[in-house]
Amino acid sequence: MVGRSEMQEKKQIVKSARSILKNYLVLVMIAFLVLITAIVEPKFLSGSNLVNIMRQFGPLVMVSLGMTFVIIGGFIDLSVAGTINLVAVVTISLIQPLGQVPALLIGLLLGIVCGALNSVLILTSGALTQAEALFLTFGMSTIYSAFALLYSHGSTMHFWDISASKSIFEAIGSGNIGFFSVSFVLFLIFLGILWIFQSKTAEGRAIYLTGGNKTAARLSGIGIYRSIVEIYVICGFMAAVGAIVLFSRITTAAPVIGAGYETSAILAVVVGGTTLKGGNGSVLRTVMGVLLVVLISNCLDLLGVSSYMQYAVKGAILMLAIWLDNRKQA
Amino acid sequence: MSQSGIITSIYKALTKQKALIALLAMMIGMLFSKTNFYSAYNILDMLNSSSILMILAYGVTFTIISGGCDLSIGGNLVVAGILAIKLLDVMPMWLAVMIAILFGAVVGFVNGFLVVHQKTEPFIITLGMGLLLTGIAQQLTDAHPLPAKNPDFMMISNGDFHGIPNLVIIMLTCLAISFWIMRYTQFGRNLYAIGGDYEVARYSGIDVIRTKWMGFVLSGIAASLAGVLLSSKLNTGSPVYGETTALVVNCGVVVGGTSFAGGIGGIPQSGLGLLVFGMLDNVMNMLGITSYYQVLLKGVAIVTIIWLDCFANKRKREAV
Amino acid sequence: MNIAESEYVLSIKDVSKSFPGVKALDSVSLDVKRGTVHGIVGENGAGKSTLMKILSGVYQKDSGTIIFDGQIIEHTTPHESMKRGLSIIYQELNLVNTMSVGENIFLGRFKEMKGMRGTHAKAKELLERIGCRINTYKLVSELSVSEKQMVEIAKALSFKSKLIIMDEPSSSLTNEEMAELAKIIRQLKSQAISIIYISHKLDEIFEFCDIVSVMRDGHVIDTKPKSEFSRNELIMKMIGRKIENEYPERPRRIGDTLLEVRSINTRKLHDISFTLRKGEILGLVGLVGSGRTEIVRALYGADKVRGHKIFIEGKPVRIRNPKDAIDAGFGFIPEDRKFQGLVLPFTVESNISMASIPKFTKFGFIKKSIEKNIAEQQIKALSIKTPSSKTVVNSLSGGNQQKCIVGRWLEIAPRIFIMDEPTRGIDVGAKYEIYTLMKEIAEKGGAIILISSELPEVLNMSNRVLTVFEGRITGEFNPETTPADAIMSAALGIDGREI
Repeated sequence: MVGRSEMQEKKQIVKSARSILKNYLVLVMIAFLVLITAIVEPKFLSGSNLVNIMRQFGPLVMVSLGMTFVIIGGFIDLSVAGTINLVAVVTISLIQPLGQVPALLIGLLLGIVCGALNSVLILTSGALTQAEALFLTFGMSTIYSAFALLYSHGSTMHFWDISASKSIFEAIGSGNIGFFSVSFVLFLIFLGILWIFQSKTAEGRAIYLTGGNKTAARLSGIGIYRSIVEIYVICGFMAAVGAIVLFSRITTAAPVIGAGYETSAILAVVVGGTTLKGGNGSVLRTVMGVLLVVLISNCLDLLGVSSYMQYAVKGAILMLAIWLDNRKQA
Repeated sequence: MSQSGIITSIYKALTKQKALIALLAMMIGMLFSKTNFYSAYNILDMLNSSSILMILAYGVTFTIISGGCDLSIGGNLVVAGILAIKLLDVMPMWLAVMIAILFGAVVGFVNGFLVVHQKTEPFIITLGMGLLLTGIAQQLTDAHPLPAKNPDFMMISNGDFHGIPNLVIIMLTCLAISFWIMRYTQFGRNLYAIGGDYEVARYSGIDVIRTKWMGFVLSGIAASLAGVLLSSKLNTGSPVYGETTALVVNCGVVVGGTSFAGGIGGIPQSGLGLLVFGMLDNVMNMLGITSYYQVLLKGVAIVTIIWLDCFANKRKREAV
Repeated sequence: MNIAESEYVLSIKDVSKSFPGVKALDSVSLDVKRGTVHGIVGENGAGKSTLMKILSGVYQKDSGTIIFDGQIIEHTTPHESMKRGLSIIYQELNLVNTMSVGENIFLGRFKEMKGMRGTHAKAKELLERIGCRINTYKLVSELSVSEKQMVEIAKALSFKSKLIIMDEPSSSLTNEEMAELAKIIRQLKSQAISIIYISHKLDEIFEFCDIVSVMRDGHVIDTKPKSEFSRNELIMKMIGRKIENEYPERPRRIGDTLLEVRSINTRKLHDISFTLRKGEILGLVGLVGSGRTEIVRALYGADKVRGHKIFIEGKPVRIRNPKDAIDAGFGFIPEDRKFQGLVLPFTVESNISMASIPKFTKFGFIKKSIEKNIAEQQIKALSIKTPSSKTVVNSLSGGNQQKCIVGRWLEIAPRIFIMDEPTRGIDVGAKYEIYTLMKEIAEKGGAIILISSELPEVLNMSNRVLTVFEGRITGEFNPETTPADAIMSAALGIDGREI
């Protein structure tokens, strides 16, 4: 621009840089991490490592995608761990007697049922705050986990115990389509469907509005109760998907297989930039969050850091991300 | 007051205390069971196993009353316990314990800073802190339980004083101190004010930031104390109890009647809530209920009590 | 200290205060003598609450002098103000609901009062001074509004207040409770405590106040001993703007009955029945808390109400929730636009399109281009001042925010449009635009139910007015032919008349 001094130019650059930093903090952190690790450990960019990273996009990302919707809607779902436990043991046990396709379908249906049950309890009790939903779903997690324990009698089932065909599950667990793993392709498919739902459909918009301001949404004719059912059903369904990917991957299903997934999923969603308040966020952001978590694990692995410290680092990153995000809003 | 007036007010008081009803229901039910639920041994045993969780509950109550929450207590407690055990090797026991408890205070201080001073969401921040600490705990012990090398250490939690377990005595002491703070000090009453209405408290000249911050510090101290006691009880430092403890304790506090909304409830309520869990465990054991059904019943109890609570609020809200 | 200072407990000189876009106070001057009850009357937006908030320390004045009890007051906080002896009792009541009466009175002063026992003992003493026998251990949430007020008064006394400001103290009180309050005010006066009494209720002004000030549009219009005011003079000075150019002509094409409501009964409302005709603007006039909002919320399905009947163009209609109402042709602008009307962090576009999502949805998919058009059309039609349709609605001014809500409903062209305080907090220019809009809606065959606390507004815009008092409809008037004070009287519960 004519007449602009060098000083003004510099100010403008700093301003734009700041704005990028603010809005895409997670991306910046990812880029930073990738850069550092690539320099220190060139193995990071090798083909086998990238495959490794891709494999991480399994159970966690599925559950996190589902959790995103609950959080966008202004609620929270701590029952995913229980749902995963239950779906895993039930599905795997049904492969032999019913065949793999019915087993798969029943497993997914079970996830939907768990989610629907959560929403029914929340709606009938009139719980409208996140805190109330928190403890109700926590209780439900215990109940679902108990069912998982009772159903399986506490025992773990292995693929090698099953003589019937389990090819679908094996494919999900370790199969490949070209360069990509089957689970990665599944992830992309679900991501696509959920992204379209979130951004392009009226129901998706209703969920955002419900999370943004329940009162205003209701007065404008938005079906907030329907939205609440939807978010929990999606979360339950995706938890089921996550369960299936998980036990297919490790070829066993123990009734405690889902432990910790609720915390990790919430973490991924929040790190990705979706605030717990509701009304904002996106499945794409959640993917960024999962990517960051996965990359951290990967980088730390390559740098020789113990898995325990990685756990600690995840907690620290979460706190850091929230803190910085808060400062951006202030 | 008329007859019906008395009955309605008793009914009102009882329905507010769903935890109390649950306790009474269990106690009355057990009268008819052919177990020795009502033996001194069993009562003490029940209190003993609930004590550590109750101490955690008292600490957490300070944060919840003022409108926050603390989910880092699990991680806090395991690190403190491990720290105590490790330090036992190099210094006298009382010093090791002191430092471990001080650690909890520091954790609480950091939590308070981020939540109150920096105004971040307590749920997520303390959750992250909990993860951070659990990871550190695992690192410190390489995920193996770490045995204590000082035989006296074990006696802290496992000894007794004229037949009453030390743990119970310590828990009752914590109960008394916490109750006294909450009910009889300006600090405690200010916590209630802040939780009840932050702005009104601020306008009344209360130092809302410092008070709320201190609440987090107290929670941290209670958690680290509980951690030391747990390590002493098991005579090992283990990272295992970090994960679910926070949710169980916070849930118990809410079940007992201390609301996440802030300003409602208190130390006795929180203790009661965890006693419900403790008694439920004990009763189920007495009745020979298998462990899986125990998990189920516990979940059903939690959902039922909280559902009833929400429903009562709903009716109040929608009364036009 | 000169004589003038000791005669007046409060002296305000040329105080001004502006907010972005609005000059709330313009060189206001006011003196309150010691031991008097000083009344302040004025319509909404006159500046009364801004002035009070400056006195109590919530806001800071831009310019001018305030002298309280001989001291010049510059920057102050609510707590400091209370300690100095200036207390204010807000309409919304500044109490912690979850704590007891005693503790609320001595909030933050637990130690000073030597603990729980001292707190409650002293609290009981203070309450007895004003003739109140509430159990100080009771939680504030269990008290009636009248009892809560007494707690606030006791709180003021606990600070040895020399001046107590009461902001619309009687808006939710029954007659008996009002008598109690009257007794207390007389007692306070006898204890040499001055009172600033802000109220719409002219009866009370004339009963209690020694001196009355009238405020309007950020100015103090007049201050005189009450004996020198006539009732009509007060009302005229309160609403005294030149009415002619403020409002457009009333809509004239009034048709058949469009809506009939029968027997709405709730805890607060008693047998509410009324009709609404095509092309008409029906105003609901009443005090805060009289039940106007409850009536429209029941009608719109926003509250869970059963047992009433609704007929639209003669056909019975069931409305159980807002969606049913919208399907039946209703539109609804809520009282509190920030918390009930807008999704503040969302864009102007989203806020406008919220109620018409089916309009730009095909097979479940949203057509963003149509949504954008809708939003931009409304922005243009209503002259909404915003940098773009993607601007976050929170950054708009109050008037423009309200226009977004209006635009939201205009898009679905409701035939029965409920507007609850549509011009609250909006500048004059934007107000006129909304008035013109209302007239257009009516002339196109729609009907409007208008709730407004600004008497001139509701009187000038409505074809017909219903007065509501304590949950009942006390009168039906034609504002063109009935004098304002007659309507006001009915709204205050004094002899309602049917036309």
